[in-house]
Amino acid sequence: MKLLKEVSIILTISFVAAFAVNYFSPAGIALVGQWDTSEGVVTAKKKNDIVGDGIEIGTVDLARKLYDTGGYIFVDARSTEDYEEGHIKGALSLPVGQFEDKIAAFMERHPPEVSIVTYCSGRTCEDSHYLAEYLMASGYDKISIFIDGFPGWEVEGHPID
Amino acid sequence: MTNFVKNSLKNSWIELAARWILGATFIYASYSKILAPAVFSKIIYGYGLFPEILINLLAIILPFVELIAGLALIIGFYPRSAALIINAMLLAFIISLSINIIRGHEFDCGCFAIDANSQSTFSGPLLIRDIIYFSLGIYVFLFRNPRRLCMCSN
Repeated sequence: MKLLKEVSIILTISFVAAFAVNYFSPAGIALVGQWDTSEGVVTAKKKNDIVGDGIEIGTVDLARKLYDTGGYIFVDARSTEDYEEGHIKGALSLPVGQFEDKIAAFMERHPPEVSIVTYCSGRTCEDSHYLAEYLMASGYDKISIFIDGFPGWEVEGHPID
Repeated sequence: MTNFVKNSLKNSWIELAARWILGATFIYASYSKILAPAVFSKIIYGYGLFPEILINLLAIILPFVELIAGLALIIGFYPRSAALIINAMLLAFIISLSINIIRGHEFDCGCFAIDANSQSTFSGPLLIRDIIYFSLGIYVFLFRNPRRLCMCSN
């Protein structure tokens, strides 16, 4: 009985601390995430996500249509190694982990008016969302996210390099 | 030899060492998870064992149970109960790891340093490590002599 009381005290302190920190921390997450791949990209949903699913491209066919117009720059958010192993034909590499180092060179070549489609490795990968968020913060506002990413593109037999 | 082991186990310095090792391990383990709950939640998702509605809650709560129970062990705040909580978590880790080893599911353990891009590691050694921690927890729980550097009365 004494043990039960002590365990409850320790757990209560932990729970209160956990929810308080999650509430106040900028890194805090929503209480329920989105973990169903058929609904879109799986994500814990940060409390202050600025990227909504309104800018997601939900099908490979739609991505291909945008690709065929030639008016969109496809940007690969994955690591350089993944990019070199294979990427959407004509896509540029801008690994989300090296964003700070590479964005200046990217901005010199591409004015903020360009339309961009970001992608990474599919619906269990959020990097394309982070990249979209960072690009928006850098002044680009015509951004879409191709959520099926490279695997979805490759599987449908669309052009790769 | 048996007597030597028995006497050692009754030694309060040995108990203190076990308690501090276990406590420090769990505080260390909680650190990066607390800093990046979104990454940790994705690792929990990667285990493929938990209902979607619980994933975020686990990612929010679990690191703080590790932290507070670890701290409790180190300062000797209800050490038996803290050891009990830590062993309950270890048991859950051991079961989750085992299920995924048995069904050959590849996943990132997310035990200490969490990194969204890290590759899944071979899980056998993780299991052995958790079992060692688990025995330390049992030892701290069962220790009945006066403890050193402890806020406790027992």
